[in-house]
Amino acid sequence: MKNSVTVKVATVLMLVSISVSVSQAVTDDFNSVVKMIEQYYNVKHEGLSFLEKTALKAVGVGAKVRGGQYRKYAEAGSIKLAMFEDQEFNGDFVKFRTSLNDALKDTWSPVVQTMSGKDEQNYIFVRDKGDKFVVLVISIEHREGTVVQATVAPKALALLMKDPEEGVKALREEATIDNQ
Amino acid sequence: MKRLFRKPPRTPLLVALLVISWSCTARAQDPKIQLAHLDHLAAKATETVDINIDERLIQITAKLFKDSDIDEVQVKKLIQGLKGIYVKSFEFDSDNNYSAADIDSIRSQLREPQWSRLVNVTSKKDGNVEVYISLVGSQINGLTVLSAEPRELTVVNIVGPVDLEKLAQLEGNLGIPDLGIDPPKKKKNDDQ
Repeated sequence: MKNSVTVKVATVLMLVSISVSVSQAVTDDFNSVVKMIEQYYNVKHEGLSFLEKTALKAVGVGAKVRGGQYRKYAEAGSIKLAMFEDQEFNGDFVKFRTSLNDALKDTWSPVVQTMSGKDEQNYIFVRDKGDKFVVLVISIEHREGTVVQATVAPKALALLMKDPEEGVKALREEATIDNQ
Repeated sequence: MKRLFRKPPRTPLLVALLVISWSCTARAQDPKIQLAHLDHLAAKATETVDINIDERLIQITAKLFKDSDIDEVQVKKLIQGLKGIYVKSFEFDSDNNYSAADIDSIRSQLREPQWSRLVNVTSKKDGNVEVYISLVGSQINGLTVLSAEPRELTVVNIVGPVDLEKLAQLEGNLGIPDLGIDPPKKKKNDDQ
Protein backbone atom coordinates (compact mmCIF):
# COMPACT_ATOMS: atom_id res chain seq x y z
CA MET A 1 0.00 0.00 0.00
CA LYS A 2 2.78 2.38 1.05
CA ASN A 3 4.65 1.49 -2.10
CA SER A 4 1.70 2.37 -4.30
CA VAL A 5 1.33 5.80 -2.62
CA THR A 6 5.06 6.43 -3.00
CA VAL A 7 4.89 5.54 -6.69
CA LYS A 8 1.90 7.86 -7.22
CA VAL A 9 3.61 10.75 -5.42
CA ALA A 10 6.82 10.17 -7.38
CA THR A 11 4.86 10.10 -10.66
CA VAL A 12 3.06 13.35 -9.85
CA LEU A 13 6.33 15.02 -8.83
CA MET A 14 8.00 13.80 -12.01
CA LEU A 15 5.14 15.11 -14.18
CA VAL A 16 5.18 18.46 -12.39
CA SER A 17 8.93 18.78 -12.80
CA ILE A 18 8.68 17.88 -16.50
CA SER A 19 5.94 20.45 -17.15
CA VAL A 20 7.88 23.11 -15.21
CA SER A 21 11.06 22.39 -17.13
CA VAL A 22 9.23 22.46 -20.48
CA SER A 23 7.55 25.78 -19.70
CA GLN A 24 10.84 27.11 -18.34
CA ALA A 25 12.58 26.06 -21.55
CA VAL A 26 9.96 27.85 -23.65
CA THR A 27 10.17 31.00 -21.51
CA ASP A 28 13.93 30.96 -21.73
CA ASP A 29 14.12 30.46 -25.50
CA PHE A 30 13.99 34.21 -26.12
CA ASN A 31 16.93 34.80 -23.78
CA SER A 32 18.77 31.78 -25.17
CA VAL A 33 18.44 33.08 -28.72
CA VAL A 34 19.66 36.55 -27.70
CA LYS A 35 22.61 34.98 -25.89
CA MET A 36 23.31 32.72 -28.87
CA ILE A 37 23.47 35.73 -31.20
CA GLU A 38 25.72 37.58 -28.76
CA GLN A 39 28.11 34.68 -28.45
CA TYR A 40 28.13 33.64 -32.10
CA TYR A 41 28.58 37.11 -33.56
CA ASN A 42 30.35 38.68 -30.60
CA VAL A 43 27.79 41.48 -30.32
CA LYS A 44 25.72 42.97 -27.46
CA HIS A 45 22.04 43.79 -27.43
CA GLU A 46 20.98 47.26 -26.32
CA GLY A 47 18.02 49.14 -24.94
CA LEU A 48 16.42 51.92 -26.98
CA SER A 49 17.78 55.45 -26.88
CA PHE A 50 15.60 58.20 -25.44
CA LEU A 51 15.13 59.79 -28.87
CA GLU A 52 14.09 56.49 -30.46
CA LYS A 53 11.58 55.86 -27.68
CA THR A 54 10.13 59.34 -28.11
CA ALA A 55 9.95 59.00 -31.89
CA LEU A 56 8.29 55.59 -31.74
CA LYS A 57 5.87 56.74 -29.07
CA ALA A 58 4.89 59.61 -31.37
CA VAL A 59 4.24 57.11 -34.19
CA GLY A 60 2.06 55.03 -31.87
CA VAL A 61 0.12 58.02 -30.56
CA GLY A 62 -0.27 59.29 -34.14
CA ALA A 63 -1.77 55.98 -35.20
CA LYS A 64 -4.17 55.99 -32.26
CA VAL A 65 -5.22 59.59 -32.98
CA ARG A 66 -5.96 58.63 -36.59
CA GLY A 67 -8.58 56.31 -35.16
CA GLY A 68 -6.99 53.03 -36.20
CA GLN A 69 -6.09 50.27 -33.83
CA TYR A 70 -2.34 50.64 -33.70
CA ARG A 71 -1.61 47.27 -32.16
CA LYS A 72 -2.12 44.95 -35.09
CA TYR A 73 -0.23 41.81 -34.16
CA ALA A 74 0.77 41.24 -30.57
CA GLU A 75 -1.42 40.74 -27.54
CA ALA A 76 -0.95 43.52 -24.97
CA GLY A 77 2.04 43.03 -22.71
CA SER A 78 3.19 39.90 -24.45
CA ILE A 79 6.17 41.26 -26.36
CA LYS A 80 9.84 40.76 -25.63
CA LEU A 81 12.37 42.64 -27.69
CA ALA A 82 16.13 42.69 -28.04
CA MET A 83 17.87 44.98 -30.51
CA PHE A 84 21.38 44.98 -31.82
CA GLU A 85 22.40 48.23 -33.48
CA ASP A 86 25.47 49.43 -35.34
CA GLN A 87 27.40 46.23 -34.75
CA GLU A 88 29.20 43.86 -37.10
CA PHE A 89 27.46 40.53 -37.76
CA ASN A 90 30.38 38.67 -39.25
CA GLY A 91 30.17 34.91 -39.25
CA ASP A 92 29.09 31.86 -41.18
CA PHE A 93 25.32 32.30 -41.31
CA VAL A 94 24.70 28.72 -42.42
CA LYS A 95 26.33 27.46 -39.21
CA PHE A 96 24.35 29.99 -37.22
CA ARG A 97 21.14 28.84 -38.85
CA THR A 98 21.92 25.21 -38.03
CA SER A 99 22.68 26.07 -34.38
CA LEU A 100 19.51 28.12 -34.11
CA ASN A 101 17.32 25.37 -35.58
CA ASP A 102 18.96 22.75 -33.37
CA ALA A 103 18.34 24.87 -30.27
CA LEU A 104 14.68 25.51 -31.03
CA LYS A 105 13.58 22.32 -32.76
CA ASP A 106 11.98 20.71 -29.68
CA THR A 107 9.62 23.54 -28.80
CA TRP A 108 9.20 25.67 -31.94
CA SER A 109 8.19 25.08 -35.57
CA PRO A 110 10.29 26.87 -38.18
CA VAL A 111 7.81 28.47 -40.58
CA VAL A 112 9.75 30.93 -42.68
CA GLN A 113 13.51 31.20 -43.05
CA THR A 114 15.10 33.47 -45.62
CA MET A 115 18.66 34.46 -46.29
CA SER A 116 19.71 37.16 -48.67
CA GLY A 117 23.25 37.94 -49.66
CA LYS A 118 25.76 36.94 -47.05
CA ASP A 119 24.45 39.03 -44.19
CA GLU A 120 20.66 39.20 -44.13
CA GLN A 121 18.71 36.52 -42.34
CA ASN A 122 15.07 36.34 -41.24
CA TYR A 123 13.48 33.59 -39.20
CA ILE A 124 9.92 33.11 -38.01
CA PHE A 125 9.31 30.33 -35.48
CA VAL A 126 5.87 29.51 -34.11
CA ARG A 127 4.49 27.47 -31.24
CA ASP A 128 0.97 26.87 -29.88
CA LYS A 129 -0.31 28.63 -26.78
CA GLY A 130 -3.86 27.41 -26.28
CA ASP A 131 -6.02 29.18 -28.86
CA LYS A 132 -3.20 31.64 -29.61
CA PHE A 133 0.34 31.37 -30.90
CA VAL A 134 3.71 32.57 -29.78
CA VAL A 135 5.95 33.82 -32.57
CA LEU A 136 9.67 34.25 -32.33
CA VAL A 137 11.05 36.50 -35.03
CA ILE A 138 14.79 36.83 -35.57
CA SER A 139 16.05 39.34 -38.08
CA ILE A 140 19.75 39.92 -38.70
CA GLU A 141 21.32 42.29 -41.20
CA HIS A 142 24.90 43.39 -41.76
CA ARG A 143 24.97 45.93 -38.93
CA GLU A 144 21.77 45.37 -36.98
CA GLY A 145 19.59 42.65 -35.56
CA THR A 146 16.28 42.21 -33.78
CA VAL A 147 14.76 39.40 -31.75
CA VAL A 148 11.03 39.69 -31.02
CA GLN A 149 8.87 37.19 -29.17
CA ALA A 150 5.15 37.87 -28.96
CA THR A 151 1.86 36.13 -28.31
CA VAL A 152 -0.47 36.62 -31.26
CA ALA A 153 -4.03 35.69 -32.17
CA PRO A 154 -4.53 33.33 -35.15
CA LYS A 155 -5.60 36.24 -37.36
CA ALA A 156 -2.40 38.12 -36.58
CA LEU A 157 -0.36 35.02 -37.32
CA ALA A 158 -2.12 34.70 -40.65
CA LEU A 159 -1.30 38.35 -41.40
CA LEU A 160 2.31 37.71 -40.49
CA MET A 161 2.45 34.71 -42.81
CA LYS A 162 0.79 36.56 -45.66
CA ASP A 163 3.38 39.31 -45.60
CA PRO A 164 6.28 38.30 -43.32
CA GLU A 165 8.44 41.33 -44.14
CA GLU A 166 5.76 43.87 -43.26
CA GLY A 167 4.67 41.82 -40.26
CA VAL A 168 8.17 41.71 -38.80
CA LYS A 169 8.49 45.50 -39.15
CA ALA A 170 5.12 46.07 -37.47
CA LEU A 171 5.94 43.64 -34.64
CA ARG A 172 9.21 45.46 -34.03
CA GLU A 173 7.41 48.79 -33.79
CA GLU A 174 4.81 47.37 -31.46
CA ALA A 175 7.56 45.84 -29.34
CA THR A 176 9.44 49.09 -28.96
CA ILE A 177 6.29 50.88 -27.82
CA ASP A 178 5.29 48.01 -25.54
CA ASN A 179 8.70 48.06 -23.86
CA GLN A 180 8.44 51.68 -22.73
CA MET B 1 -9.56 -29.61 -16.67
CA LYS B 2 -6.52 -27.46 -17.09
CA ARG B 3 -5.04 -27.34 -20.51
CA LEU B 4 -1.35 -28.07 -20.35
CA PHE B 5 -0.52 -26.53 -23.64
CA ARG B 6 -2.31 -23.33 -24.37
CA LYS B 7 -1.98 -21.78 -27.75
CA PRO B 8 -0.30 -18.38 -27.53
CA PRO B 9 -2.87 -15.58 -28.00
CA ARG B 10 -2.91 -14.42 -31.59
CA THR B 11 -4.56 -11.05 -31.10
CA PRO B 12 -1.41 -9.07 -30.12
CA LEU B 13 0.48 -10.56 -33.07
CA LEU B 14 -2.31 -9.67 -35.47
CA VAL B 15 -2.54 -6.14 -34.06
CA ALA B 16 1.24 -5.72 -34.40
CA LEU B 17 1.14 -6.95 -38.01
CA LEU B 18 -1.75 -4.62 -38.81
CA VAL B 19 0.07 -1.65 -37.26
CA ILE B 20 3.26 -2.45 -39.16
CA SER B 21 1.46 -2.89 -42.46
CA TRP B 22 -0.60 0.29 -41.88
CA SER B 23 2.51 2.33 -41.05
CA CYS B 24 4.32 0.97 -44.14
CA THR B 25 1.37 1.88 -46.34
CA ALA B 26 1.01 5.29 -44.73
CA ARG B 27 4.70 5.99 -45.26
CA ALA B 28 4.57 4.82 -48.85
CA GLN B 29 1.64 7.15 -49.55
CA ASP B 30 2.89 10.16 -47.62
CA PRO B 31 3.52 12.77 -50.31
CA LYS B 32 5.75 14.89 -48.07
CA ILE B 33 9.26 14.62 -49.40
CA GLN B 34 12.56 15.20 -47.63
CA LEU B 35 14.25 18.46 -48.61
CA ALA B 36 16.76 18.92 -45.79
CA HIS B 37 19.67 17.51 -47.78
CA LEU B 38 19.53 20.61 -49.99
CA ASP B 39 20.38 22.86 -47.03
CA HIS B 40 24.10 22.79 -47.82
CA LEU B 41 23.36 24.90 -50.92
CA ALA B 42 22.54 27.88 -48.70
CA ALA B 43 26.27 28.46 -48.22
CA LYS B 44 26.70 29.12 -51.96
CA ALA B 45 23.38 30.83 -52.62
CA THR B 46 22.77 34.57 -52.77
CA GLU B 47 19.11 34.13 -51.85
CA THR B 48 17.61 31.28 -49.84
CA VAL B 49 13.96 30.73 -49.00
CA ASP B 50 12.77 27.93 -46.74
CA ILE B 51 9.05 27.65 -46.02
CA ASN B 52 7.36 25.05 -43.79
CA ILE B 53 3.64 25.57 -43.38
CA ASP B 54 1.67 22.75 -41.82
CA GLU B 55 -2.06 22.02 -42.06
CA ARG B 56 -3.05 24.04 -39.00
CA LEU B 57 -1.22 27.14 -40.20
CA ILE B 58 -2.74 26.75 -43.68
CA GLN B 59 -6.25 26.62 -42.26
CA ILE B 60 -5.60 29.68 -40.10
CA THR B 61 -4.22 31.60 -43.07
CA ALA B 62 -7.08 30.46 -45.32
CA LYS B 63 -9.54 32.33 -43.12
CA LEU B 64 -7.78 35.58 -43.97
CA PHE B 65 -8.49 35.42 -47.70
CA LYS B 66 -11.49 37.63 -48.40
CA ASP B 67 -14.75 36.19 -49.70
CA SER B 68 -15.43 39.47 -51.50
CA ASP B 69 -12.41 39.19 -53.79
CA ILE B 70 -12.74 36.64 -56.63
CA ASP B 71 -8.99 35.89 -56.76
CA GLU B 72 -8.77 35.46 -53.00
CA VAL B 73 -11.81 33.17 -52.98
CA GLN B 74 -10.07 30.96 -55.56
CA VAL B 75 -6.90 30.78 -53.45
CA LYS B 76 -8.93 30.10 -50.32
CA LYS B 77 -10.71 27.19 -52.02
CA LEU B 78 -7.39 25.83 -53.25
CA ILE B 79 -5.63 25.84 -49.93
CA GLN B 80 -8.48 24.79 -47.66
CA GLY B 81 -7.92 21.07 -48.07
CA LEU B 82 -4.11 21.19 -48.03
CA LYS B 83 -2.06 19.52 -45.33
CA GLY B 84 1.30 21.16 -45.91
CA ILE B 85 3.31 23.51 -48.11
CA TYR B 86 7.08 23.11 -48.15
CA VAL B 87 9.39 25.23 -50.27
CA LYS B 88 13.13 25.39 -50.70
CA SER B 89 14.55 27.86 -53.17
CA PHE B 90 18.13 28.88 -53.87
CA GLU B 91 19.41 31.60 -56.17
CA PHE B 92 23.05 31.77 -57.16
CA ASP B 93 25.19 34.47 -58.75
CA SER B 94 26.86 32.02 -61.16
CA ASP B 95 26.13 28.72 -62.92
CA ASN B 96 26.92 25.19 -61.71
CA ASN B 97 26.41 25.75 -58.00
CA TYR B 98 24.25 22.71 -57.51
CA SER B 99 25.01 19.20 -58.70
CA ALA B 100 23.19 16.41 -60.47
CA ALA B 101 23.29 14.57 -57.14
CA ASP B 102 21.26 17.37 -55.55
CA ILE B 103 18.60 16.97 -58.24
CA ASP B 104 18.72 13.18 -57.99
CA SER B 105 18.15 13.37 -54.23
CA ILE B 106 14.75 14.86 -55.03
CA ARG B 107 13.94 12.77 -58.09
CA SER B 108 14.73 9.55 -56.24
CA GLN B 109 11.82 10.28 -53.89
CA LEU B 110 9.42 10.86 -56.76
CA ARG B 111 9.28 7.34 -58.10
CA GLU B 112 6.40 5.32 -59.46
CA PRO B 113 3.99 3.87 -58.53
CA GLN B 114 3.20 6.64 -56.02
CA TRP B 115 4.49 9.53 -58.09
CA SER B 116 3.85 10.27 -61.77
CA ARG B 117 5.57 12.94 -63.78
CA LEU B 118 3.25 15.14 -65.79
CA VAL B 119 4.53 15.66 -69.29
CA ASN B 120 1.88 18.13 -70.40
CA VAL B 121 2.78 20.87 -67.91
CA THR B 122 5.16 23.56 -69.09
CA SER B 123 6.70 26.70 -67.62
CA LYS B 124 7.32 30.14 -69.05
CA LYS B 125 10.64 30.16 -67.22
CA ASP B 126 13.98 29.03 -68.63
CA GLY B 127 15.46 25.76 -67.52
CA ASN B 128 13.92 22.48 -66.59
CA VAL B 129 10.61 22.39 -64.73
CA GLU B 130 9.28 19.00 -63.69
CA VAL B 131 5.87 18.53 -62.11
CA TYR B 132 5.04 15.31 -60.27
CA ILE B 133 1.76 14.24 -58.70
CA SER B 134 1.15 11.67 -56.01
CA LEU B 135 -2.00 9.63 -56.42
CA VAL B 136 -4.10 7.53 -54.07
CA GLY B 137 -6.46 5.72 -56.38
CA SER B 138 -7.55 8.43 -58.77
CA GLN B 139 -7.20 11.24 -56.22
CA ILE B 140 -4.21 13.59 -56.16
CA ASN B 141 -2.85 13.76 -52.62
CA GLY B 142 0.37 15.62 -53.31
CA LEU B 143 2.36 17.57 -55.83
CA THR B 144 6.02 18.40 -56.27
CA VAL B 145 7.50 20.97 -58.61
CA LEU B 146 11.20 20.78 -59.31
CA SER B 147 12.53 23.81 -61.13
CA ALA B 148 16.19 23.69 -62.09
CA GLU B 149 17.57 26.75 -63.84
CA PRO B 150 21.25 27.47 -64.34
CA ARG B 151 21.27 29.91 -61.42
CA GLU B 152 18.23 28.86 -59.46
CA LEU B 153 16.97 25.68 -57.86
CA THR B 154 13.45 25.53 -56.43
CA VAL B 155 11.50 22.63 -54.99
CA VAL B 156 7.85 23.07 -54.00
CA ASN B 157 6.14 20.19 -52.22
CA ILE B 158 2.41 20.52 -51.61
CA VAL B 159 0.73 17.88 -49.48
CA GLY B 160 -3.00 17.38 -50.00
CA PRO B 161 -5.47 17.54 -52.88
CA VAL B 162 -4.29 20.04 -55.48
CA ASP B 163 -6.30 21.27 -58.44
CA LEU B 164 -3.70 21.22 -61.20
CA GLU B 165 -5.58 23.63 -63.42
CA LYS B 166 -5.57 26.23 -60.68
CA LEU B 167 -2.01 25.61 -59.51
CA ALA B 168 -0.81 28.86 -61.07
CA GLN B 169 -3.12 30.79 -58.72
CA LEU B 170 -1.14 29.57 -55.73
CA GLU B 171 2.06 31.17 -57.04
CA GLY B 172 2.98 34.16 -54.93
CA ASN B 173 0.87 32.98 -52.00
CA LEU B 174 2.05 31.32 -48.77
CA GLY B 175 5.67 31.41 -49.84
CA ILE B 176 5.14 29.58 -53.13
CA PRO B 177 7.40 31.30 -55.65
CA ASP B 178 6.44 32.33 -59.16
CA LEU B 179 7.19 29.22 -61.19
CA GLY B 180 5.56 30.41 -64.40
CA ILE B 181 3.62 27.16 -64.67
CA ASP B 182 1.09 26.81 -67.44
CA PRO B 183 -1.83 24.59 -66.47
CA PRO B 184 -1.98 21.15 -68.08
CA LYS B 185 -3.25 21.33 -71.62
CA LYS B 186 -6.61 19.67 -72.03
CA LYS B 187 -7.08 17.13 -74.80
CA LYS B 188 -9.76 17.94 -77.32
CA ASN B 189 -11.89 15.04 -76.06
CA ASP B 190 -11.83 16.49 -72.54
CA ASP B 191 -13.58 19.64 -73.69
CA GLN B 192 -16.53 17.81 -75.08
